[in-house]
Amino acid sequence: MGNPEGRRSQLLRGVLDLCLLAVMGDGPAYGYDMTKRLRARGLSIVGEGSIYPLLGRLERDGLVETRRAASNGGPPRKYYSLSPDGERALKEGVIEWQATRDAVDGALGLVKVEVRP
Amino acid sequence: MSEFVDECRREWRRLGVPEPVANEMAADLTADLEEAEAEGATPEDVLGNSAFDPRRFAAAWAIARGVTRPPSAGRLWPPRRPVVAVLSVLAAVLTIGAALGLVVGRGSTSVAFAARRIVTGPGSLRVVPWGPGRMVLPRPGGGPFGWTQIAGIEVHPLAWLVLIIGIVSLGVLAVLYWSPWSGAYRHRWFDSRRVPR
Repeated sequence: MGNPEGRRSQLLRGVLDLCLLAVMGDGPAYGYDMTKRLRARGLSIVGEGSIYPLLGRLERDGLVETRRAASNGGPPRKYYSLSPDGERALKEGVIEWQATRDAVDGALGLVKVEVRP
Repeated sequence: MSEFVDECRREWRRLGVPEPVANEMAADLTADLEEAEAEGATPEDVLGNSAFDPRRFAAAWAIARGVTRPPSAGRLWPPRRPVVAVLSVLAAVLTIGAALGLVVGRGSTSVAFAARRIVTGPGSLRVVPWGPGRMVLPRPGGGPFGWTQIAGIEVHPLAWLVLIIGIVSLGVLAVLYWSPWSGAYRHRWFDSRRVPR
């Protein structure tokens, strides 16, 4: 019934934009910087789609603000930060995610599974 | 790594992404990939599975930013404009009609000679069984739209003209269909005036 990687990819695709907004809450970040922040929180995008199109969509939808600034010793980078609309979308998205997670936990939480190390 | 960015640039150019926007995206991508490489990370760490498909990645990024149109909106076929559809049908009908006219017109003459003779009489043609007599062809010419001879070959000027126009029209429509500038490039002028994000 489907492969685990495919399911994980589908689940992640629905919330990756929220995850990006969440790591922007730590402060402005450029593309690769956000990838590192996600990884530091235990979320690797290896095997998933790139975050760049997502960032493009967030920017187009006005959920992030951008500015170009010099990075540490490197070339100027495009820094993304939360816009007021983005902050609102993040809060609403987290509420939706928690409600969805609780509902799914209610359906799946009682299933006994053997977790392999 | 630079091959990946170069491939993205080619795709953005093909999609008609304005040059300043393409330069900005290429610069950001290059800087991120260089930083990742310096830290020992792979392009896949930065780009996920998109690292293996630069054209798709480039198109997805440009579409997400709204600096090009999705393929379905930029394609000329199936035609969104009724004029293009009408022209296509008209060109096809003209070409087929002219070709059939030429083939049937000449072919019927040959078949007639195989079984019968065509004899001219005063003011008309007659078909008669084989026998003694003079076998003649219908007189070439017959006005501006009749059969005529050019360099010893019978041709019908109007039919040939229509056939050539039909073939040229189909060629133009084929170029519009397959060429990259049929879709997104048509809107390049418009896109170049959008404010880059």
